[in-house]
This record gives sequence, structure tokens and C-alpha cells, in this order.
Amino acid sequence: MENIITIKDFKMRFGTTEVIHGLTFSVKRGETFGFLGSNGSGKTTTIRALLGIYQPTGGELLLDGKPYSVSGGVKLGYLPEERGLYKKESVIDAMVYFGELKGMSRDEAKEASLAYLSRVNLSDKANTRLDKLSGGQQQKIQLGITIMDNPELLILDEPTKGFDPVNRKLLMDIIEEHQAKGATVVMVTHQMDEVERLCDHIILLKDGVSHAYGTVDEVKKKFNKKSLDEVFLQVYGNENEETK
Amino acid sequence: MHNLSTVIRFEIVRTLKKKSYWIMALGFPVMMVAIFAIIYFSNQSTNQAAEELQHQSFSIEVTDETHLIKPSILDALKAKTITDKQQGIKDVASGKVDSYIYYPSDISKHPVEVYGQDVGIFNNSRYDAVASMVLKESIQNSVDVNVRSVISNQASTNVTTYRDGEEYDPVKQMILPGLFLVLFYMLIAFSANQMLTSTIEEKENRVIEMILTTIEARTLVIGKIVSQVALSLFQGCIIVLPALAGYLLFHDKLNLPFIDLTALPVDIPRILTGALVFVVSFLFFTGVLVLIGSSVPTAKEASQFLGVVMIAIFGPLYAVTLFISAPDAPLVRFLSLFPFTAPIPLLLRNAVGNLHPWELAVALPILVVSAAVVLMLAVRVFRYGALEYSRKVSLREIFGRR
Repeated sequence: MENIITIKDFKMRFGTTEVIHGLTFSVKRGETFGFLGSNGSGKTTTIRALLGIYQPTGGELLLDGKPYSVSGGVKLGYLPEERGLYKKESVIDAMVYFGELKGMSRDEAKEASLAYLSRVNLSDKANTRLDKLSGGQQQKIQLGITIMDNPELLILDEPTKGFDPVNRKLLMDIIEEHQAKGATVVMVTHQMDEVERLCDHIILLKDGVSHAYGTVDEVKKKFNKKSLDEVFLQVYGNENEETK
Repeated sequence: MHNLSTVIRFEIVRTLKKKSYWIMALGFPVMMVAIFAIIYFSNQSTNQAAEELQHQSFSIEVTDETHLIKPSILDALKAKTITDKQQGIKDVASGKVDSYIYYPSDISKHPVEVYGQDVGIFNNSRYDAVASMVLKESIQNSVDVNVRSVISNQASTNVTTYRDGEEYDPVKQMILPGLFLVLFYMLIAFSANQMLTSTIEEKENRVIEMILTTIEARTLVIGKIVSQVALSLFQGCIIVLPALAGYLLFHDKLNLPFIDLTALPVDIPRILTGALVFVVSFLFFTGVLVLIGSSVPTAKEASQFLGVVMIAIFGPLYAVTLFISAPDAPLVRFLSLFPFTAPIPLLLRNAVGNLHPWELAVALPILVVSAAVVLMLAVRVFRYGALEYSRKVSLREIFGRR
């Protein structure tokens, strides 16, 4: 299977501090990839550099063989860690706007938005201003915007953040649906049970360096652990003590 | 192109949905209509009251030491002549008569003294009016009609000037090129804050990452600029069109001079120069505003920088007389060439007709290059500084990125 994401010797420096030190990994088309790491390990920085939001200090970050550009190549759905929407707009206006920016016609965007709202039980909120919704409802809208044009690559940065168990289940169902349609999914998460259930390959990042990279079983085997939770605790468990 | 039109439509629609836009757009014309209505009705009631005043009769005593007053006029007013000033004052104070007028022997040095029963702040003026009227009526037949028009400031002048052998009215000449100055002032005054808010909105709403992975920063910035220009022009029309209609319909009732708009001289080179300077200046300042919006984390911080920009733009208005009377002064030259202050002097001097071609040849490229640099910088800062939610972005950081 061909790589949809290729990262080679990626380095990132903010001021005088290098936060990513020569990171290399790839994600194959159609797989679900878990990007794991504690807070501040460099996951979001890597994603931002991959999507051209940050300029890398060194290395190559390619999507389908070339640097990401909004105007061509991969059809992307990106749910950033930093949540936010046009808060003074109505739900439907915001969704249709993003749908159009993603290349859908106005009618297609409206149809897809209404279908999604119905699916997540927010049909009655279509004309409500976004700032009148709860945090969880806003998250659902943002997820809807991410997936509304059936992207071939879904990058979800902490997708379950702020979701209750019911909505987390809904989110996982949606991810599985996109997996079934052949989409590549990259999940940045701390939810190890979900990673074990959904991901084909994972990478564990700590202080900007890869500590493990492979299938879930390969990583568990490497650390001689039965679950990813235990692996995570071994890799990151002593961080709090180190910072004391 | 598809995304550009989407951004423009979205920005325009959401701005039109804001109450603040309509308050700003309608507030000014409503206020102007209210002011003109007050002036109009005030003038009308004053004239009406003055007319009523003329028909009011009241008892008058007069002492004339000038010997200018004609007895026939006093007779017509049924005024009584007395010689004792103190007696006249006493008669008014005791209520025996309504008023007493004392004309001193030398009215060039001493004022005419008028005493009267209080009949309210407005009606009290009838005494003064009668005292002046009696004096004027008494002397007007004793001097030549021309002398009378000179001393009553009624002699008028009519100036005709020529340039290159043809009749040339500098005031009428400046109206069409001067419209670009008015347009520039209006657009900046109305759109500056909107532009700033619009740029900073993605950052304040934390929506920048989703936007930047969906659309080019350049497309978004251009879309915002175009939509703000369209909104400002619409806002301008809301103000100008009713004002124009009001002027054409009511200029005589408001005592405004009539200008035949169809007879305005059309100086094509000056109009084109005005249009060119206007477009480049506006692009330069929108670039500056986007740059500010992208560099700071909140609208509050942005408004502090906006104040400085506004001073730079409109500060030269305080030197208007200098631009007209001393166009070759070093300060005028500097203000006309420095991009932050150049728009007002260039547009004004072009309208007045004292902008030298060589100055335009130097100033315009400076403005064009500045506008291009600032717009490119604005897009770059928007692109790379937009994720700084809590702090200002330094230029070093922006240029430090590859």
C-alpha cells in the first residue's frame, strides 16, 4: 500500500528551542494511525507542520508525495486540537460556508449539513447561533464540518476531548464509517482503548522523539506489556517525577 | 476564484447581519436629517415669530440727542419724545410705558440705550429691533443708494479667473477630483474598525487552523478586503444618496448655495490621478489594517494601534491651509511623499491643482511599492502569526520562518 503521509527527518525549532528532533514515519493509505504522546510531546506541532500551518525547520513532510496545499492533492478533513467556530453565525451558515470552501456547491453543503445534524440529533439547532450551543454541541458541529465532504484523509487531534461517553461512542461510529469507506484516519489521542480497537499502526512521541513505531501488537511486544495503557504508563509515567 | 466569491459573500452577509453596522450606517444620515430638520424648523419659527413681532404694538418713549431721527417715523410708531433720560428709565421701571430708547449725541462712541418691560428672552429683542430700525429708516434717505449698500455690507463681487486663455473656476474644478478625497475619508473612517474586527475574528474565534487548511491565506485576506470595500461603498451610498436628494430638493429652504451638477468641469487627467491615488492609498491602508489585525491577539489591542494609524492618515488634515497656500514648503513635500501621510495631501493637492507632475511621479511609485509590501507582509503575518492567540507577533519571528 502506498504512503499517504511521509515524514522524513522532521525538525522543528521555536526560537532557540528544538522541539522535534528528526522525526521519521509514514502512514499508509486507508489505514488508521494512532499518534500518541503526552502533552507537549510535539504531536500537534507535527500535524500543523504537515498541514503547512507551521514552516518546518528541517526535513520533509509530504501528503501524497508533495507538501500540503489547500488547492490540490489530498481531500482533507482536519479537526484541530484548538476548537473554535464563527460563534456569531448560525450552525447551518457556518457549516455551509466551510462546505463551500471545501469545494461543495451551496446545495450540496446544505444537504450534507442537515443530514449530519439529523444524525447527531441537532436538527432543531440548525438556525441557532453557535455561541448559544453547549461546548459538546459545538464540538459535534466542528466534527461535522470536518467530515462533511467525505475526506480521503481525516486528521483528528484529540477528537474525544470534551465528549461524554454517549457522544464518544457516536464519534467512534463515525470514524469507523469513514474507515469502512476507505478513508485514512490519523488520530491524536490519549484514549488507549480506542487506539487499540481502531488503529493499525501507532507512533509514540516523547519530547519530540519517536519512542515506538509499528502495529499495536509490535509496540506492546517491544515494551513487553499487555495493553497500550501499560506502555503509555511506562513511557510517560516518570514525566511528572522528572518535572518535580 | 470559487473560494474568493464564497469568502466575499460570507463576509458581506455576516456583516450586514450585525446591528453595529446598521447603527453606524444609518446613525450618521439619521443624525444629519435630525440636525437639518431642527435648523429648518428653528428658522421657520424664528421668522414667524419675528414677523409676529413686527405687528406687535407697544408704547415707546424716545430721547434723541443725535438729531438724526425723523419725527414722522416716531409719529408712525406713536412714540412720545422726552428730553429727560432719567425720567424715561423711571417710566419703564414703574410700568408706565413699555420701552424707552435713548440715542446719545455721539453714537459712534456710545451705545444706544434701550430699556423695556421684560416680555421673555425672545420677545425682548423687539426693543432693540425697533431702536435700530428707527435709526436706519431715519438716515437711509439722506445718503446715496451705493453708499448705503456699502455701509450695509450689501455690495457683492463676482470674480472670473482665466487659465491658459480660458475661463477657469478653481472651486468648480476641484469638485470632481475632490470626490476621491471624500471617498477615501469615508471609506477609511467607516471600514477601518470593521476591517480590523473582521481580520481578528478568525483568531478570536479560534477558527484559524480550520480556515488555513481549507483556503489560501491570500484568498481569505483579499476576500475580506473586497467585502469591506463593498460594504463601505454601500454605507457611503446610504449617506451620500439621501444627502444629495435632500440638497437637490431642499437647498433653497436650507439657504444652501445651488451648484448645477451638470455644468461641473471634467478634468480627465486630474480625475484619473485622483482615482489612482485613491485606489493605491486605500490598498495600502487596508494592508496596514490587516497587518495589525494579524499581529495582535485581540480586537482591544488592535484598536490601540488603529488609533496611531488614524492619526497618521488624518493628521495632515490639520495642515490643509498649508497644502493650499504653500505647496512647495518642505513639510508639504514630506507629507506628500511619506506613505503613511501621503493620501490626504496628494488627493487634496490634486483636487486643488497644485500637485506637480514630478511629485506625483515620485509619490505614486512609493505608495504602490508600500501597498504591495504591506499587503504581502499582511498575508504572511496572517498566515504565520494567526496561531498566536495570546501574544503579539514580532516581525523577526515572521521573517525568521522559512
